[in-house]
Amino acid sequence: MEIKELKALYKFLVETDIVELEIEGEKGKVRIKRAVARALESLPAAAHRQSPVTEAKIEGPEAKKDDIRIMTSPMVGTFYRSSAPDAQAFVEVGSIIKSGQALCIIEAMKLMNEVESEFSGKIVSILVENGQPVEYGEPLFHIEASK
Amino acid sequence: MQGKKKGVIPHKPEPEIIKMLKGSAHGFVSGQALSSALGISRTAIWKHIKRLRDAGYGISAQPSKGYRLDETKKRPFNVWEVSLLLTTDFIGRSLHFYQSISSTNAIAFELGRNGCVEGAVVIADGQTKGKGRLGRVWASPRGVNLYTSIVLRPGIQPQNATQLTFLAAVAAAETVKVFTRKPPEVKWPNDILIDGRKAAGILLEMDTESDRVNFVVVGIGVNLNMRRDDLPELIKKTAVSLFDKTGVEVDRAEFGARLYSIFEKWYKIYCKDGFPPVLDEWKGYFGGAGKPVKISSVGASIEGVCMGVDADGALLVRVASGKVERVLSGDVVAGG
Repeated sequence: MEIKELKALYKFLVETDIVELEIEGEKGKVRIKRAVARALESLPAAAHRQSPVTEAKIEGPEAKKDDIRIMTSPMVGTFYRSSAPDAQAFVEVGSIIKSGQALCIIEAMKLMNEVESEFSGKIVSILVENGQPVEYGEPLFHIEASK
Repeated sequence: MQGKKKGVIPHKPEPEIIKMLKGSAHGFVSGQALSSALGISRTAIWKHIKRLRDAGYGISAQPSKGYRLDETKKRPFNVWEVSLLLTTDFIGRSLHFYQSISSTNAIAFELGRNGCVEGAVVIADGQTKGKGRLGRVWASPRGVNLYTSIVLRPGIQPQNATQLTFLAAVAAAETVKVFTRKPPEVKWPNDILIDGRKAAGILLEMDTESDRVNFVVVGIGVNLNMRRDDLPELIKKTAVSLFDKTGVEVDRAEFGARLYSIFEKWYKIYCKDGFPPVLDEWKGYFGGAGKPVKISSVGASIEGVCMGVDADGALLVRVASGKVERVLSGDVVAGG
């Protein structure tokens, strides 16, 4: 299943207030369980039953690691990877970051929220594209926490 | 951080001296009167008078009469003038005045990080990097306008902080109304327009920790006395100043003090009764409902008829298909 389709499903869940959804299609089966009012959390590989929406998204090798952390959006808004359209992105995949470092900006109605990392480590994936809308609690980054 | 800091409200007699000189009916205030009112020596008074003159006040002295404030000379814009006019409980009670800085929002954000009190205010005579939305610049020449930021620590969740955008718009609009005697129009979400041109801009920046608002900086820039000829080419057609509209110079300290007082009034209403009264007030200034509207954002735009706002303040736009879209960010580039 494509990330795009997953996103559409996730949006549908949010709009309809459905918390869990299981769909079986030609390509296989997907179950999405929505994390409600969760700011951030670690993602234990074994906890499939309690996994939030990201369960479906993380099928790459990083899913198997115990130390992948997720930064989620603190509010509904638009996701920006830099402070200005012509400015350098705060982080890229592979960037080594420190706790407290700015990762992105979420904007809604002229309120800018610079989201800072809660962890030190490495950015393993950026889940949202620049300028795209995000929901409250939507995962934004996967960070491999340094030990 | 650049520029010269004028500092937090000083526990110094200058504001008291200005007040006494202003309040003197027959013009002169004797050195003795100042000395006994403030509990300092006449020599000390003389030193403070000198300091005031250095700061740009016209004060004349006559041996037998004392000191007199020359009211024909334009008073400087400084921390003393603003603090003398404050009528608030907490907004502006910690006042940081700068002649020239990068941006009041940047300084206020630093103050917030360093644990400043709620209501701390930064004012600048001019900004070298006045902030607009998404890296845009807010034209901030010295000597003419008001550039100010307020640090708030509301006990709200991050997802409700956008409500403060509307509160700031309501406070700025009401203050403009006091000085122009006509309600301005608010463009969604918080630009203040006079005759369709931008008189004030508002930008909020928030610092969150996990699921909690640490603080919010409300930055407000108001074009007060900027002359049409002084407007940068880029905004000549889209900006306006209160002077443009009324032909009367606005005292920046008076405008600032009034803004803080009106802001505090609405903030208290918000803290007590929540968002609905603020949004209702905002709607009274909003002229976009029922009109065609176009909003542009990164790589996309949406066009339709504005259906007003919902209970969160999101802009509702009915697009060609008949569907009503809910808009949370972007620039209203036409209508609205």
